[in-house]
Amino acid sequence: MLRFSAVGAVICCLVLSRSQLAIHAAATLSPRPLALAANPAEESDGAKAYAANCAICHGDHREGNLPAFPPLLGVVHHLSDPQITELVHKGQGRMPGIPDIQGADLVGLLHFLHTEEETAIKPSGAETAGQPASAHAEAGRDLFQQNCAFCHGRDAMGGETGPDLTRSKTVLADRDGDAISQVVREGRPEKKMPAFNFSAPELEGLAAFIHGQVTAAEENKGGRRGVDVADLQTGNRDAGKRYFDGPGGCTKCHSSSGDLAGVATRLQGLALEERMLYPRGAKSSVAVTLPSGQTVAGTLAYLDEFTVALRDSTGSYHSWQTAKVKYKVDSPAEAHVDLFGKYTDADIHNLMAYMQTLR
Amino acid sequence: MRFCNDAWLVALGGALLLAAGPSRACAQSLAPSDLLKPPADSWPLYHGDYSGRRHSPLKQINTRNVGGLSLAWAFQSNQGAQIKSSPLLVDGVLFFTVPDNVWAVDARSGHMIWHYHRPSKGEHIGHRGVAMYKGWVYFTTPDCHLISLNAKDGTVHWDKVFADTKQGYWSTMAPLVVGNHVVVGVGGDLDNLPGLLASLDPETGEIQWKWESTPPTGTLNATTGGTTWITGTYDPELNLIYWGTGNPTPVLNGNTRPGDDAYTCSIVAINPDTGKLAWGFVVSPHDTHDWDAVEIPVLVDANFHGQPRKMLMQAARNGYFFVLDRATGKSLLTVPYGPVNWALGLDKLGRPIPNPDKEPLPDGRLIAPDEGGMTNFRSPSFDPRTGLFIVDAHPSYSLYFSKPADGTYGWAGADYGLWGKGVIEAIDYQTGKVRWTHEVGPGGSGAGVLTTDSGLTFTGDAVGNVLALDTSNGKTLWHAGLGDAMESSPITYELDGRQYLLTASGGVLFAWALPQNSSAPHPALQH
Repeated sequence: MLRFSAVGAVICCLVLSRSQLAIHAAATLSPRPLALAANPAEESDGAKAYAANCAICHGDHREGNLPAFPPLLGVVHHLSDPQITELVHKGQGRMPGIPDIQGADLVGLLHFLHTEEETAIKPSGAETAGQPASAHAEAGRDLFQQNCAFCHGRDAMGGETGPDLTRSKTVLADRDGDAISQVVREGRPEKKMPAFNFSAPELEGLAAFIHGQVTAAEENKGGRRGVDVADLQTGNRDAGKRYFDGPGGCTKCHSSSGDLAGVATRLQGLALEERMLYPRGAKSSVAVTLPSGQTVAGTLAYLDEFTVALRDSTGSYHSWQTAKVKYKVDSPAEAHVDLFGKYTDADIHNLMAYMQTLR
Repeated sequence: MRFCNDAWLVALGGALLLAAGPSRACAQSLAPSDLLKPPADSWPLYHGDYSGRRHSPLKQINTRNVGGLSLAWAFQSNQGAQIKSSPLLVDGVLFFTVPDNVWAVDARSGHMIWHYHRPSKGEHIGHRGVAMYKGWVYFTTPDCHLISLNAKDGTVHWDKVFADTKQGYWSTMAPLVVGNHVVVGVGGDLDNLPGLLASLDPETGEIQWKWESTPPTGTLNATTGGTTWITGTYDPELNLIYWGTGNPTPVLNGNTRPGDDAYTCSIVAINPDTGKLAWGFVVSPHDTHDWDAVEIPVLVDANFHGQPRKMLMQAARNGYFFVLDRATGKSLLTVPYGPVNWALGLDKLGRPIPNPDKEPLPDGRLIAPDEGGMTNFRSPSFDPRTGLFIVDAHPSYSLYFSKPADGTYGWAGADYGLWGKGVIEAIDYQTGKVRWTHEVGPGGSGAGVLTTDSGLTFTGDAVGNVLALDTSNGKTLWHAGLGDAMESSPITYELDGRQYLLTASGGVLFAWALPQNSSAPHPALQH
């Protein structure tokens, strides 16, 4: 599915500093972030099924009681839903089968097992009420689930269309929520992210939630979701260089000692690979011939069927109706589009290995 | 819809009826039988009619006078949300939505009659519109309520829950009314859940039947998924509704769900009275790229290779154009309509064979099209005059990743769009060959397509222009820059002898018509 819209409920919440939040998040979030529940407070079906059937052996908080009863926190890392279901229904060793857990109870239980520790060890209402940190993060979480989760994932670690926010440069550089708020308020039209009209407290809540997720993700060294630099090391450097110099045709525009010198110090991992495959936002030039015969050249500033515009060497903007002029656009980045139909995945991985030597 | 029941008509007497005018006599009421042959002064279903062709017989606006099209009125929703719904028109009143909101607006003037607002939890990704039965409007909510509103004033008639939002379901779709059934579907692929269709009694809201796309969550070696988030189509003769289903879950990791993963990424034919499946066709067997097959299953009765056929056509998100025999679900044609690199060929059932080496992997795979797909939920149109299936296509490339740490729940991987563009394509349904293309800009357009019997194609480009094209060759005949991308599918209707075109851009609904003193072609242009 795709695309979203912004209608947010107004949520009042208290302000807290990022450092307070980080401490709170580190203390309560699981070291293994997983798909978060839409709203942990609503997880009653699964939590009830767990409490009624499983807690007696595996603990109220899924902590287990070793050596006899294994903890179930993180059980979804080594067992799939069908495997868990089979275990629940048939039992194993001294664990009895409970074939009666079916339908909504079963779905709820599986959902519950996928939730984080925080859900399992949620403080009681009285404790929560006295903690501004929790209210703040929860308010941000609710807003995030309604408006952001579809694209960025329930845990902010990436989803449909939207990038992993816990690796976002904007998020990592953000202090006090200002940078995050700006992106949310203004959107990213070039990437089709819409703008959202949230209040200042709503934005603070959102930022608090996202920063909490960064902390949670960072705690999960070695088992992190998404794309790590280490994942992109399967190519062969020499084969990549041969492709660069030969069939790729890269040297028509690029040079390893010229424009690409040091590229691997400027960009790493996925950012480098994306840039290598298509330089988003690369400039095109245009030459416009007016009815008088005069030609105006510059950087292409706008083009649709009806209007062509450029910025000239002084930075001034000029536009014309396409029907009234002749124009010629030169888009060097189009060469990257031509390559999409020709690459093998190995070509890409090899090129990536070679690019990473250009330090 | 134009006439009330006969007894009432006789009792009132002809004079009064004439004074009130036929459509005013039973305002905002729609008999189910009216849906079988919608009059020109209505657009009573999401697709305009049951066929999903989004084609109108209206001819007042034509290739010669369309250049004079101008603004009749605009409606400002004053919401941040983009209008993604396809409005209904019943008895001179338009009904359309964004999440949590329904408006009733006068189709002649654009002024608001009523506004219904209901804040709710759940995904607010978009909303596609409402359905109508008699004097009731049906509205789905992000938390999976179906709400029946009084079409006269927007007051709540009843409010029923049809899926459990706590499990991860939400709803964005316009229901489909067939006979005495209101059929609704769900979104919900952030969790491992079966997609479902539910049929509710339009009068009482009682659930009549439910159909699930997959085995229950937790079934060994079985998939979940197959959401049902776009309105289906209906063949009254075969008494079957046709529905596209969404991607399987976990989404990018197929390891726990070997095989075809029926009926996810499928077209299914279901009896609306019983909820029983007649047939299913898997459009993307074992999908690992999020290519929901919810794109409109368009119903066309015509010759195929010289033989009269009842066909179903779909330009699918996975990049292939499908023609099926809709009585049997058997394939007649499968052809890509843009760059695709994920299949090894077609199997003997006419389905693409997924290449295992193009499943998402830890070091990434280059995939065409991208996750948004070669097209998405906005409607295509079938023009019966030319036999062209016209679709807003999106040639594109992306990188797909999945590794064990991504798990087996929900998204279970990561993908990144690299490049894409928008192209309106006119596909010859007999061969799958593209007869013309019309580029609509970098990134792609979110606009749907409408065709008319006067040879016009209405759609939008990537930068906020609404376009009128010549259906025979794709050339632009008219445009207007509206300042925001069109994220919906156009409709058209005729009121008081004047044809209107309705398009939405951003949060604004625009009604276009010929200037009132020149609705006939200019004498100089007449032959």
